[in-house]
Amino acid sequence: MPVHRWIWRDADRCVQKLLRFGETEIDGGRDILRAAEVTSDSLLRRLFMVHATDEHRHGVLFRRRAATLLRALPRQAMPAFQADWLAPGGHGLDDLRVEEESDDTLLAFLHVSEKAAASRFTVYRDALQHDPATRAIFDDILHDEIFHMNYTLTQLVRISPEHHRWHLWRARLSRLWKGYLRLATAVAGVIGAVLLTVQYFIILPPFAFLAKRAQRRERPGWSPISPERNGSLKDEY
Amino acid sequence: MNILGISAHYHDSAAALIVDGVPVCAVQEERLSRRKSDASFPLSAIEWCLDHAGIQPDALDAVVFYERPMLKFDRILTCALRAFPQSWRAFPKAMKNSLGEKVWVRGIISSHLGVPGRKVLFTEHHQSHAAAAFLTAPTRHAAILTSDGVGEWATLTVGHGERRPNGATVITLLREIRFPHSLGMLYSTFTAYLGFKVNEDEYKVMGLAGYGRPTMVDKVRQVIRRTPDGAFALDLDYFEFHTTARRSYSSRFVELFGPARNPYEPIDLESAEGQRFADCAASVQRVLEDTLVDIARALQQETGLRDLCLGGGVALNGVANARVLAESGFDRVFVPPAPGDAGCALGAALYADRIHFGNTDRDVPDHPFWGPSVDGAELKRIAGEDGQFVDELDERTLIDRTADDLAAGRIVAWMEGALEFGPRALGHRSILAAPNSAGMRDRLNREIKYREQFRPFAPVVLIEAADRYFEFPAGGTRLARFMSGVFPVRPAWRERLQAVTHIDGTARVQALERDMAPRLYTLLEAYEKRSGMPVLLNTSLNLAGEPIVNRAVEGYSTFLRSGIDVLVADQTRVMKRGSLLMKRKEDVA
Repeated sequence: MPVHRWIWRDADRCVQKLLRFGETEIDGGRDILRAAEVTSDSLLRRLFMVHATDEHRHGVLFRRRAATLLRALPRQAMPAFQADWLAPGGHGLDDLRVEEESDDTLLAFLHVSEKAAASRFTVYRDALQHDPATRAIFDDILHDEIFHMNYTLTQLVRISPEHHRWHLWRARLSRLWKGYLRLATAVAGVIGAVLLTVQYFIILPPFAFLAKRAQRRERPGWSPISPERNGSLKDEY
Repeated sequence: MNILGISAHYHDSAAALIVDGVPVCAVQEERLSRRKSDASFPLSAIEWCLDHAGIQPDALDAVVFYERPMLKFDRILTCALRAFPQSWRAFPKAMKNSLGEKVWVRGIISSHLGVPGRKVLFTEHHQSHAAAAFLTAPTRHAAILTSDGVGEWATLTVGHGERRPNGATVITLLREIRFPHSLGMLYSTFTAYLGFKVNEDEYKVMGLAGYGRPTMVDKVRQVIRRTPDGAFALDLDYFEFHTTARRSYSSRFVELFGPARNPYEPIDLESAEGQRFADCAASVQRVLEDTLVDIARALQQETGLRDLCLGGGVALNGVANARVLAESGFDRVFVPPAPGDAGCALGAALYADRIHFGNTDRDVPDHPFWGPSVDGAELKRIAGEDGQFVDELDERTLIDRTADDLAAGRIVAWMEGALEFGPRALGHRSILAAPNSAGMRDRLNREIKYREQFRPFAPVVLIEAADRYFEFPAGGTRLARFMSGVFPVRPAWRERLQAVTHIDGTARVQALERDMAPRLYTLLEAYEKRSGMPVLLNTSLNLAGEPIVNRAVEGYSTFLRSGIDVLVADQTRVMKRGSLLMKRKEDVA
């Protein structure tokens, strides 16, 4: 909790977080809307539509609040450091291919995601004692999240009365697996970036020198296109 | 001969299929994946194209990718080297981005489609643009001008194309302007500076320009100067797009034009700051137009040709297109319905067919409707399940009812036939409304499109009546076929066309011929009988941040989530009945 309080007290980080939540909610809303468009169950279609509309509204609320806070911030040349090397996950439906999911697996996924988001948003809300306006937004959203948790579970039980527990466990495991993949990808990304940066400074300087020298010889303006370039389509060069 | 064209990996990926020299289908990936400007490998679009034509991948004679990936990689690497050591942050990202998927296109296509690598061909990016512009245009011999942000190295090319009497086709690109000197990047940089999304929101800059005065033209000319040979060069001190992925413009750019706009703040055109942004947009718009007109005029004088084919993303700038037509000396200007990168899928396939394989030229149908068809029965089923008012009507009654709706001020979502290929809704996936009042424009902005107040809506008009309402130069109605030009609304009609008249008295008009969309044409005739004007407001059927809808169910979800009153898909008509969404939420909670 102290860490969260510290993060949310920093106005710049608070803005960045709200903007990111805004993006995640809106992206998630689009995926749920897609689910509404592909399901053949008419009740689910209507509920997904409500859910998607809620997510979009949440995104707008986060963005508006971020914009208001941003207005109060002094203009900065550089944003504060953000730990954005780890791809956002959890509440957003990243790496989910809605078309490839069945109604029951999607409902289980949504239920687990909404539950996780609700518990996280509760922590954030409690850390925002000093900022009643932002806290009110989390309160409002948490109210919707409860509805989302309830309907996803109710509908999962309706369409899969025998196997709903299994679907929920699978969704939890899949969430864990995706979390691991996100972490592994992020670590691999950092290692890759370090290696490439090292190569950049060790291997590239002589080539950079040659490239710069060649650039100085280039004249801006028109360059003729040789007729051979209109020829073969087999080359990738 | 079956040839599949593919564009992918940067923005707006797409697939197009031509069979025996004639396009049979084309669709952007975003229309199937429902992710706006989807840049991923267009697997859904490819699958749909092959299904639609009823052919298996092994029946393809060639798969043509719209650019040369290794040449593009060469440019990215060279730019990183040239910007050494400032490019150290961008370098790892650029390499990971390119080496992950983008340079292995032959292998990716082979593995996805199961076609041998030798069947995979590559055109140059601007060859694809040129082919998309020339080979789809009804002209025998034309000059060609393509301009966009960047392809491999080229950012702007000029040349000419010819369909010879013996059936052979020639496209010759004569010269190019190379990265980083780019009209598209200049415009995109201002797009970012004005707080809009690059590669998506450039048209907002054009809309905003109408509210400003070009008071900063001299400043813009400081950042882009003309070269003695008639081309142009950017002063790279003002830009950062070639050295970093973080920002397009440099601190010097900010010193010159003032602080950039906060993207999360609305533009207040009443304030001095808002007016500065509008003036800035007007100034870059003016410089872009002047530069294009000069280059086109020189090309006309050089080639002596009467027709010009424009391609590349810059050809989406309708104001510039209209000036090119009026001032460059060409009699006709052709812009395809998809001049951007999506259209390159079709261009690449046509280029391979006509130039690489040397097949005889065939006329390409002059319409944009190459995508999946809408199914009215699907709408009837889902709207019926929701208890909406659903009618299935005969053609005459449907047209009459819809015309009545429009005359009564209702907003109609109109879906028919095959989906448009390209960014414009040209009558098959459109929102239609009466064009007369500013109140209608405000309602559309507020309840349906949820977008900035400064963005205009476009009209569609019967071609026979177009001159009565709009001031077209000679050849203007051709440019208006696919909404590619912006023209003045005649002053006498501006009061009655308020919803589609931009602040500067212009409109991005679509002049409709019966052959292109017969049902919409008939609807316009029916509307004329009621209102006295064969003009309707025509905007794309989508909500902010979403691609244009494809299937009936997507049209239905758009209808439910917005203030649209009536939805028509083929013969099915749905009237909105209360807020089903909120009711359902209360029931379940």
